[in-house]
Amino acid sequence: MPYDDLRSFLDTLEKEGQLLRITEEVLPEPDIAAAANAAGRIGDGAPALWFDNVKGFMDARIAMNVHGSWRNHALALGLPKETSPREQVEEFARRWDAFPVAPERRADAPWQENTVTGEDVNLFDILPLFRLNDGDGGFYLDKAAVVSRDPEDPDHFGKQNLGTYRMEVIGRDRLALQPVPVHDIAKHLRIAEERGEDLPVAITLGNDPVVPIVAGMPLRYDQSEYEMAGALRGAPMPIATAPHTGLDVPWGAEVVIEGVVESRVRQIEGPFGEFTGHYSGGRRMPVIRIERISYRTNPVFESLYLGMPWTECDYLVGPNTSVPLLKQLRAEFPEVRAVNAMYTHGLLVIISTAKRYGGFAKAVGMRAMTTPHGLGYVSQVILVDEDVDPFDLPQVMWAQSAKVNPKEDVIVLPNLSVVELAPASQPAGVTSKMIIDATTPVAPDVRGNFGTPVKDLPETAEWTKRLRALLADR
Amino acid sequence: MNATDATNDARTPAGQDRPALCPRCAHEEITAVADSPVPGVWQVFQCARCLYMWRTTEPARRTTREAYPVGFRMTAADIETASEVPTVPPLLNR
Repeated sequence: MPYDDLRSFLDTLEKEGQLLRITEEVLPEPDIAAAANAAGRIGDGAPALWFDNVKGFMDARIAMNVHGSWRNHALALGLPKETSPREQVEEFARRWDAFPVAPERRADAPWQENTVTGEDVNLFDILPLFRLNDGDGGFYLDKAAVVSRDPEDPDHFGKQNLGTYRMEVIGRDRLALQPVPVHDIAKHLRIAEERGEDLPVAITLGNDPVVPIVAGMPLRYDQSEYEMAGALRGAPMPIATAPHTGLDVPWGAEVVIEGVVESRVRQIEGPFGEFTGHYSGGRRMPVIRIERISYRTNPVFESLYLGMPWTECDYLVGPNTSVPLLKQLRAEFPEVRAVNAMYTHGLLVIISTAKRYGGFAKAVGMRAMTTPHGLGYVSQVILVDEDVDPFDLPQVMWAQSAKVNPKEDVIVLPNLSVVELAPASQPAGVTSKMIIDATTPVAPDVRGNFGTPVKDLPETAEWTKRLRALLADR
Repeated sequence: MNATDATNDARTPAGQDRPALCPRCAHEEITAVADSPVPGVWQVFQCARCLYMWRTTEPARRTTREAYPVGFRMTAADIETASEVPTVPPLLNR
């Protein structure tokens, strides 16, 4: 059964031993962020963290690291918690084929329980806000989904966008918003600002666990995140109509914030410790004026720590970055076996592929760089043979160490496009890109002394399952 | 647009000293944004110029000018010359 809200997913995490309640009193800073930072340092089975005893707050309920391990990511997709990253990516890709699945509109959303409007709006009354990293300019909403419509085509459901964008609290009813120019909301805002109009937005916090996955997914402009959520859930996504803006929002959200991006206004924002493991900011960014907040009684405030990887952010965007690349590459090259694009949102990608003929793997690498996501991200590609698991880094390092003749197998291409946030780009937004071909050369490429490789024994796969079962039953 | 948010008042919480300087940009106009729901535990302040926001119970490296890391400090020039992301587009003639 898919989860319709965050609370039901937190119940499952707790039953599965994947939610840790911190019962001792903690300080809002630095404890909550430091604990979530530490969750990324204790291994890939880390639990979600729950805080409800936070100094100075009466009723704070804070959930961190909800997607912050392979176990939790698997459970978010309704898979057994032992499912490997590679299997999660494969299952994700399989469910993608069901897209689009129309959402289901429901009444009586739980967030309709409480409402504040106008001058009564005060984020600090409703959310236990806190800082994440030392250099952050303030308190951020960094795991919310922001909904907006194309002002030129407001009735087009697919062009309605649901995306995760960083938002800094700069006042009781003001947020600074970062719409990177390549993002869909930036297109909506540009159209609104060219007309001199405000852009209505709805911001939903504390969503069911599939919403943050689709909200961070590089879909086409006219593809609906709600219809993708339905495909991933295996059931229609429940949505409701936000009362002030009429936007479609997740039915199960904890908090729905409505307002407008003020037309043609910019204010200083940031810096903010980003997914690249570096700060970005302060730049002048658009401002959201909040006009109405609806919320469940005793709302759960969900946030995400990000900083030097790995953190929750990497688990959250790893599979949803790998799958589009896998689908796009396989469409032209069915030889592609698996894609691991989990490093810094795909700045580095590892691809496992069979070879049609000599030089084929390098062509797959070049194609990865020219996919829609690749144009802005894929700066380094490592290609490995079809029997190497790109998610098994020791195996990848074996392939690179044994198969690569650097002079011929490492190719550097100068002056290509990349996101401006990429710390190594120079100038920002331009970088060289590299292909490392760690596949075994095939004819007519007859370089090297690869002779006859030692393969896993035919019976090894069966024995792997057997050993795992024996270990599990001990 | 004025950087000061109209929704932030300038109250000084009872029994608390308003910070004299923004830890980040050393500006002197500081507003009080929020008080702890449990009275008297902490306040949240904000600089009217660089919009830096902090809670009084945060470590000194975030709350005092002296301990605020040089690498994170901001000047009036930094704010004035900060780039717009995204840039404001020209108005369409209609």
